[in-house]
Amino acid sequence: MHPFHPSYVFTVLVQLFPYIGVTLLMMLGTVIFGGAIGILLAKAKIKRRIVPRAIAEVYTYLTRCVPSIIMLFIVYYGVPALLLQFGININNFSKGVFVITAFSILFASNLGEVFRAAYLAVDPGQREAAVCSGLSEFQAFYRIILPQAAVHALPNFSNMLVNLMKEGALAYSIGLIDVMGEGNLLIGRNQGSYTLETYLGMAIIYWALTFVIELIFGRLEKNLSKGKKHATSVA
Amino acid sequence: MKLNTEFMRETFIASLGGVPKTMLITILTLLVSIPIAFAMALSKLENKKVSSKFVTAYVSFIRGTPIVLQILFIYSLLPSTLNHLIKDVFGLSVNVFKMNKIVYAIIVFSLNNIAVLTELFRSALGTVGHGQMEAAMTVGLTKRQAYRRIIIPQALVAALPNLCNTVIGLIKNTSLAFLMAVQEITAISKMKAAAGYYYIEAYLMIALIYIIVCTVVQLLFALIEHQLSAYKKRLAV
Repeated sequence: MHPFHPSYVFTVLVQLFPYIGVTLLMMLGTVIFGGAIGILLAKAKIKRRIVPRAIAEVYTYLTRCVPSIIMLFIVYYGVPALLLQFGININNFSKGVFVITAFSILFASNLGEVFRAAYLAVDPGQREAAVCSGLSEFQAFYRIILPQAAVHALPNFSNMLVNLMKEGALAYSIGLIDVMGEGNLLIGRNQGSYTLETYLGMAIIYWALTFVIELIFGRLEKNLSKGKKHATSVA
Repeated sequence: MKLNTEFMRETFIASLGGVPKTMLITILTLLVSIPIAFAMALSKLENKKVSSKFVTAYVSFIRGTPIVLQILFIYSLLPSTLNHLIKDVFGLSVNVFKMNKIVYAIIVFSLNNIAVLTELFRSALGTVGHGQMEAAMTVGLTKRQAYRRIIIPQALVAALPNLCNTVIGLIKNTSLAFLMAVQEITAISKMKAAAGYYYIEAYLMIALIYIIVCTVVQLLFALIEHQLSAYKKRLAV
């Protein structure tokens, strides 16, 4: 067996630290684009018009069954070939674009479910009361339902973010240099020595990120639901 | 874009040959991890000091790190450690490096799945009211009997939808077994794709196979749930 150097773990932590930004950017991009599709999916499922609803259900079902790594490769090889038909060459685009596209497609269904559950958790009476008191439909949603639904969505959203971060580690397989990618390059540069130390360092980074995400969302939930607790305790 | 349909058909049939291996890994992993996870969930529920802290740390670590990382970590650690243990500590002459790679896959996926299932069982056992246990004890059942006859059958029904999700997640994760050189669905199509540069076709076929496999699993679970929750309907009538 190779001797184990605990001190090298710290070297790895220092070297990989800057690449956390890439991982976080990937997550941000996915939440923005996946969230946009997710809102459409949630809307289609709530409104109960047959055709959009069926499309949304089929979409959710199909994306739930496909492993992330397969979706990553389908997008990485498929999208450039598809766009080349229309004379658009994106072969020299950054790998991040493909990663964000693939994970947006996959996580849109998760995000859609998060949004839908949060929307349904708000009592319909809230909307009715708002409309009765003279707010428009959009105002009622924006001022009354959204703030309440957001609090309900927080725990599921934080779970989804952690999952996204973990699945995002797969992006190294198409060559994105994030924490995982740089860690693998590091192992290559050391010609296979310090392998365990490097993996351990990467694991600590991901574990810490999970911890931070859960901490932030736990705090946020506590802060935002303050008013609610007060209201119920008075009543 | 023109897809090579001939190649797609061929790859589809070839990759179907990987389905038994995927299912084998899934089923063996479940068999290994379910009893351990159940014991861990119980130790957490009964708040035994040392073991409950260990379980919490274990679950947090496994659920906080990507499964690719766990695979790479264990796959680079385990063979040489096992070799060291067997050769130097026990003095046996077994060649670890010739062992079937599927064993490593099962070990890795079990370690991962135990953490997921522990949480699942804990919440499922939590759904069965305290009164059930107390009533069972009052009637004169031992704790073991109470779990086996009263608590577990009820908790199982509550756990089934989540269990279905876990199994689907596990099947999706087995697509990473190619990192350990296991010849399952993904590995077979990847190899065929690399031979002719038909990547898109091959990956579309893999996706299709996973969709079919997951559909079958979901149908099975729906059937089991229907059977097991029969007692609820009888109560309602």
